[in-house]
Amino acid sequence: MSRRVEPTITRREALLRLSSTVAAAAAVGAGVVAFHDRRTVTAAPVAIPDWRTPPGGQGPAAAARGGDPATNVRRAVAALGGMDRFVRSGESVLIKPNVGWDRIPEQAADTDPNVVAELVRLCRAAGARRVVVADISCNDPRRCFASSGILAAAGAAGAEVLDARRLRLVPAGLSGLAEGLEVVEELLRADRVINVPVVKHHSLSRVTIGMKNWFGVLGQGRNRLHQDIDMAVAELGATFHPTLTVVDATRVLTANGPVGGSLADVRTVGAVLAATDPVLADAWGAALLGHRPDTLGFIAQAERRGLGRADLALVMELGTA
Amino acid sequence: MRWTIRIRALYQAFFLLLFVWLLARLAAGDPRAFPFTVFHHADPLSATGTALAAGTIPGALVWAAALIALTLVLGRVFCGWLCPLGTLQQLASFLFSGRTRRESLSVNRYRRWYALKYYILAALLVGALAGTLQTGLLDPLSLAARGLASGLWPAIPGGRPAPGGWVAALLLLGIVLASRWIPRLFCRAFCPLGALLGVFARFAVFRIHRGSEACTSCTLCAFACQGADEPLGHHRVGECMVCLNCLPACPEQAMSYSALPPLPEPPRQPDLSRRTLVGTVLASLAVTPLLRATGGGRTAARARLLRPPGALAETDFLERCVKCSLCQQACPTGAIQFAIAEAGVEGFWTPVVVPRRGWCEFACTRCGEVCPTAAITRLTPARKTGYDGKPPVRIGTAFVDRGRCLPWAMQTPCIVCEEMCPTDPKAIWFEEAVETARDGTARKLQRPRVDAARCVGCGICENKCPVGEEAAIRVTSVGETRDPLNRLLAGSAKT
Repeated sequence: MSRRVEPTITRREALLRLSSTVAAAAAVGAGVVAFHDRRTVTAAPVAIPDWRTPPGGQGPAAAARGGDPATNVRRAVAALGGMDRFVRSGESVLIKPNVGWDRIPEQAADTDPNVVAELVRLCRAAGARRVVVADISCNDPRRCFASSGILAAAGAAGAEVLDARRLRLVPAGLSGLAEGLEVVEELLRADRVINVPVVKHHSLSRVTIGMKNWFGVLGQGRNRLHQDIDMAVAELGATFHPTLTVVDATRVLTANGPVGGSLADVRTVGAVLAATDPVLADAWGAALLGHRPDTLGFIAQAERRGLGRADLALVMELGTA
Repeated sequence: MRWTIRIRALYQAFFLLLFVWLLARLAAGDPRAFPFTVFHHADPLSATGTALAAGTIPGALVWAAALIALTLVLGRVFCGWLCPLGTLQQLASFLFSGRTRRESLSVNRYRRWYALKYYILAALLVGALAGTLQTGLLDPLSLAARGLASGLWPAIPGGRPAPGGWVAALLLLGIVLASRWIPRLFCRAFCPLGALLGVFARFAVFRIHRGSEACTSCTLCAFACQGADEPLGHHRVGECMVCLNCLPACPEQAMSYSALPPLPEPPRQPDLSRRTLVGTVLASLAVTPLLRATGGGRTAARARLLRPPGALAETDFLERCVKCSLCQQACPTGAIQFAIAEAGVEGFWTPVVVPRRGWCEFACTRCGEVCPTAAITRLTPARKTGYDGKPPVRIGTAFVDRGRCLPWAMQTPCIVCEEMCPTDPKAIWFEEAVETARDGTARKLQRPRVDAARCVGCGICENKCPVGEEAAIRVTSVGETRDPLNRLLAGSAKT
């Protein structure tokens, strides 16, 4: 053994050094206790809210006709009790038009910009704190929102226009065919939601109107839903309960839907329907394209699920202004 | 006096042999429950990395705390007594270098650039905090396991080939051979685990002490110093690997290893420049998005990025995988291989399933059992196969290539994929057809079709397909359980 080297440190220094060692050990121990098997916190899927307001004395739907889309919107909504019935002061509203395609309004592949803008103004007038216009387009979102005229019109009317680049997607715990799909987060933050589809021919579901329009709030993988389109559309109708469905039939696309392109496929109808019954809204639009509502699979399924009634006699026709 | 060194060498030999033996038993498919992950579970670098990246220290990785506790008491004994890579380097230095005493003295002096390892550690930990865990690239345990098992063993007759393993082998061999010129060069200058332990060693109770009244400044103590920590001058305890070579080397017996010795004045700190450290941190933060710029599997699923069964979703997976290669060794069929480009730059050396190399054995759950950081979760056979009544764990879906398939394209009978399919009922089924052959005769054929709702993507069909090189049925990642967005069929997954 070596010659003993005597420690020459003071008791005070020994205590100080030992306590720094113990402090380091305690810090590591605390870190381990804090982090051991800590599950990374994943937010539970948020349930889709129900945006409907209590029923008033009015009917479930009203249709207005005329050359000016904005007037049609005002009259149809007024017939259901006015926007004050649906949007309260201080609420935040999400308006979901169909802005799926890089098309101009005359091609009738997207919702008419005047219809969207008028709804924004009505919501603003009803005291809405915030009005968001959002959709996840199929074509390039910038081109879709610009070509459709919705970016300019809704923006000028006082809405925040959000395309896919600015929309965050979150898991929503959807069931059925939509299981595993994400939804637009803005949807979950809105107090009221207004669905504003356009009436179009569709190659698979034959027509696309309101309930099919919910595809636009879903994320990657939504094209899986075409594996059983009728059931998928009915399920979407059972999942999303909008405050109001405003069907734009200013122009309707009668063939080569849902993208269209040729003006020969476009028919000018000059009508807008406002409805609290989404199934009735789809039935009304389908009739414009010459379909008996009960012949369409998704309408029949939605009715069987009790989501609404496809009885066209329930629509209050306001006629031409 | 040489007994301390002999004991240390015995420890080193024991742990090196244990490390190699466990790895060999794992690769040999030994069914006994040996503690295959014992080294990797005690790795504070993996623990710190996953804690920063994923916010969790999974399961048995808490043993890393015991190693830190050991370091707080005894200093970096892990480096000097336990680490298999350290032992290999010391062995190479001992065997291959014929240094004179003068050369030894020079080569075992501290160099300022040995502080590089602290910058490497900082860069890796900052990267982890930014969500990309790359500690495994330089972690000595991952590096040694990868280099030995995937780089060198395939060269042994009967060894299983590992494409890309040569990169790991070259790295390992380079590190070991570098000790011919500078002993433990990797430990001294590069090892992030050594740097991490060095941080804690500064609090060590036991440390090397030079009794200055007995010392004649003969410098003999520094001749065999493994850590280049300068026991003669102001000893650097953060660099010292407690090899104890300096104790018997001192003719005056002035060196001791004792509790709470007086500290040299002033105690030496690592030669870190604040400017370089801040630069390192910023560069590391900048590199993380660059690593992802090429895409990888984070944002969009990749067809041939098949992860082992039970692997977490890609983002979570990359926050935990330390590239230790244990799952690759554990896989009985050789299906698990290194990703070279399949998983992007970030995913380099992470495990992927390559069906042409091997298939995922239906009820086998070994890869998850040996994963030290739970990047691959532990599954039970009942859970994996779906025999517990819930949907099985899928790693992908098989697709028939009708242009190469014998019945589909060549009118030649073949049933191999269907025969091999392990699910119940089989995911592969036959469509019966009668076709007219070239000579005009009618030929009855069974054409294979895949029921995507049943397929688990195990890849045995692709592996056994008799169409050589590119199989006529191939698995891609769509439908994998771990990624809810990478789905094929709408609705609930059926059993």
